[in-house]
Amino acid sequence: MSNAKLATMFRDVFGSLGKKPATELYPFVRTEAPAHLRGHVVWNSETCTGCGLCAKDCPSNALEMIVVDRKAKRFVMRYRLDQCTFCAQCAASCNQDSIALSHEQWELAALTRDGYHFIWGKPDDIAEALAPKSDNGDKPEA
Amino acid sequence: MNFFADVIQPILALLVFPGGLFVLALGLVYLWVNRKLVARLQNRIGPRWFQPVADVVRLFVKEEIIPEDANPALFVALPIVGLAGVLTASLYVPLFGMAAPFSYPGDLIVTVYLLSLLTLCIGLAGANSTGRFSLVGVTRTLTQMFSYEAPFLLALLSPAIIAQTWQISEIIAYADGRWLMFTHPISFVIAIIALMGKLEMPPFDAPEAETEIVAGAMTEYSGRGLALFKLGHGAELVIGVALVTALFMGGTANPLIWLAQTAVMLLVLSLVQVLMARLRIDQTVGLWWRYGSVLAIVQIVILIVWERIVA
Amino acid sequence: MINGNVKPAEKFVVPIGPQHPALKEPGHFELTIDGETVTAASARLGYAHRGIEKGAESRSYVQTLYMMERVCGICSHIHGTAFSLVVEKLAGVEAPPRAQAIRVLVAELERIHSHLLWVGVGAHEAGFDALFMYSWRDREVVMDILEALTGNRVNYSANVLGGVKCDVTPEAAETILKGVDFLEERARQYLEVVQSDAMFLRRTRGVGTMTREEALTLGVVGPTARASGVTQDLRKDAPYAAYPDFPINVITETAGDLEARFIVRVKETIESCRIIREVLANLPEGELTTRMPRRVKEGEAIVRLEAPRGEVFYYVQSDGTDTAKRVKVRTPTIANMASVLHLSVGHQLADVPMILAGIDPCFSCNDRSVRLTSAHGNDVWTWEKLRQHGIEAYR
Repeated sequence: MSNAKLATMFRDVFGSLGKKPATELYPFVRTEAPAHLRGHVVWNSETCTGCGLCAKDCPSNALEMIVVDRKAKRFVMRYRLDQCTFCAQCAASCNQDSIALSHEQWELAALTRDGYHFIWGKPDDIAEALAPKSDNGDKPEA
Repeated sequence: MNFFADVIQPILALLVFPGGLFVLALGLVYLWVNRKLVARLQNRIGPRWFQPVADVVRLFVKEEIIPEDANPALFVALPIVGLAGVLTASLYVPLFGMAAPFSYPGDLIVTVYLLSLLTLCIGLAGANSTGRFSLVGVTRTLTQMFSYEAPFLLALLSPAIIAQTWQISEIIAYADGRWLMFTHPISFVIAIIALMGKLEMPPFDAPEAETEIVAGAMTEYSGRGLALFKLGHGAELVIGVALVTALFMGGTANPLIWLAQTAVMLLVLSLVQVLMARLRIDQTVGLWWRYGSVLAIVQIVILIVWERIVA
Repeated sequence: MINGNVKPAEKFVVPIGPQHPALKEPGHFELTIDGETVTAASARLGYAHRGIEKGAESRSYVQTLYMMERVCGICSHIHGTAFSLVVEKLAGVEAPPRAQAIRVLVAELERIHSHLLWVGVGAHEAGFDALFMYSWRDREVVMDILEALTGNRVNYSANVLGGVKCDVTPEAAETILKGVDFLEERARQYLEVVQSDAMFLRRTRGVGTMTREEALTLGVVGPTARASGVTQDLRKDAPYAAYPDFPINVITETAGDLEARFIVRVKETIESCRIIREVLANLPEGELTTRMPRRVKEGEAIVRLEAPRGEVFYYVQSDGTDTAKRVKVRTPTIANMASVLHLSVGHQLADVPMILAGIDPCFSCNDRSVRLTSAHGNDVWTWEKLRQHGIEAYR
């Protein structure tokens, strides 16, 4: 082997003695998350038109759109964080930019399953949506 | 008869200081230094100081699973015998800048063979385990042992020849102040590389190649047996480094200089460990028998000729 | 299992996997060895089978896209791109040029990621942990680039049916170019290590040599084939996405041994850096997505793409609804696996993990349906029967 040299990584290896380790000391040191990081889903009920495409297109059925009153634009969104794959298809499907993925909430691990189911909307909307029998004939959209 | 000097002191030397507990503790410290140096050379952080202690403690509290086809008595006894051999070897090697507790003519050979006792016990333990990975590991362990023993002894022979004695304390008395690593450079290099083979450090870690045979001869060990083998490895590291340092780096001095010398040795070992890829077992044997032994013999011949001509 | 009375005449079988430090994913290889030399090898796969193709039949195309992305972690973008391309083909829709260019950009970044990861894994199998640690440290740079661009370090989800989700702003382009410069410099350094490190060459030169004829007979694809002199790269032979606008140079070596495979992959990393620079310099303006019908008209279509490991093949059959009728995925690892068995025979036991690593195996990719043939003949099992078998067999 005419071109064979010993210890070709010498410069890298020996130079590391003078450099800081490359390890990020998380959680003591937190680097800033990039702006497009796909984290927790965030829903804006004001601009939502209730088309339900986000829930329909979700690959893991993490979103459920419940229509309380379509004309009055009263919608309730159910979000299962433990099923979400953070793929951002909901954000892509929405034509009103009502749903997005936060780049700040991404440390989502917990020790129990409580706190992984969210129901968003105005309080009386939610109460009406979760009522066992709804009188106005609207069925909750799956 | 002085009760303390004749009875208590030897027992203390064997069990506590400088043998026994002190060697085991120092072994864990040296293992940590090695791991930390290797990590830093790879641009990572490395374990915290108590990691080897934590490993050993954790292993001691784990359940020991003895394979069905293994002889249980041997399975349990072999780690103990191996560790005992290494600890006995520590009695003849000067540690921490102090003279060795015991000394008699020929103890250099005894020390080297007691160190090999650990490797032999690991080999027997693997053969006893009868697992497929263990059996392949045993073959490699014993093959490697046969290949580096000769160059190692030959390399250690050159200070012995020049000091004209096989007794460690007398070699050190001769080498005191004379840094034999400069006058016997080839032997020094061979001793270091053979030490890496003895300790099964990369590039000579084919016997316990993680990505090929899981853990080699020690695959079936867990719990107490593995902890004892790990302690044995740590102690072997200390004694091997101490032996080479004492013979080649100017004998025993005060503890601080000894610590500095062994630290430099550890740095060299870690550097070589990181820079090299693992050799296959047939390449290891080829390397040793072709280059190791020949170079060691060349060094001895040079020494003898020099003695004859100059002296 | 473990037999204590190993008779000397009996063949000694070493099992590699399904749990073994050499394997990053489960797969079972049985090597019959004599001393240290392998005399026979057989494989059993299927440990990572998840029923993805079956699952695609009960999900809409939009949902299936994300499932296809999770066939593999390291080549997830290429699977997503392949599925998007084949469904767009079925629907008669063409994604806009900017989207296709961004698809190529992310694909090449993924290729760099995959090859750097593989260099580390291959070095680790050889016991060369320094190269392992340093290449994985540098891999963090490409992962950070991808995270800033697409939103995740693996499983980029850059594709939607009809285009891409993520855009490249001029600032992002700057960051990417800086990162790519660093990666190219490191890749050249690793090329030198792989070509000239004496100890590493002892493990890779002349090991696992596959001649060009053997490569063609065994049907290997990707860098494994290109290392044996087979000039086959789908980005040049059958360009897809934006590759007609950004032609590539096919990297081949002739030696066909492990060293050649290392060299091909590291050189491909450098080539990907060049392609990325070209794409960023000539990124077409325009939309990111195009209108895509929910119900795809009846028909069937195939696409073939060049994943980091070789040729990935997608077949989709549609029946006019918004759910696919049949999706078939053939990944490169299943094509390369036979070569491992063929090459292992005659080599030392210590070389087998390296030969296996040499094809860049991705076991999650290659597990499609497994057909168990037994003395009772071939029959198709129902879900209940499979479940019962699982309970009985491991009792």
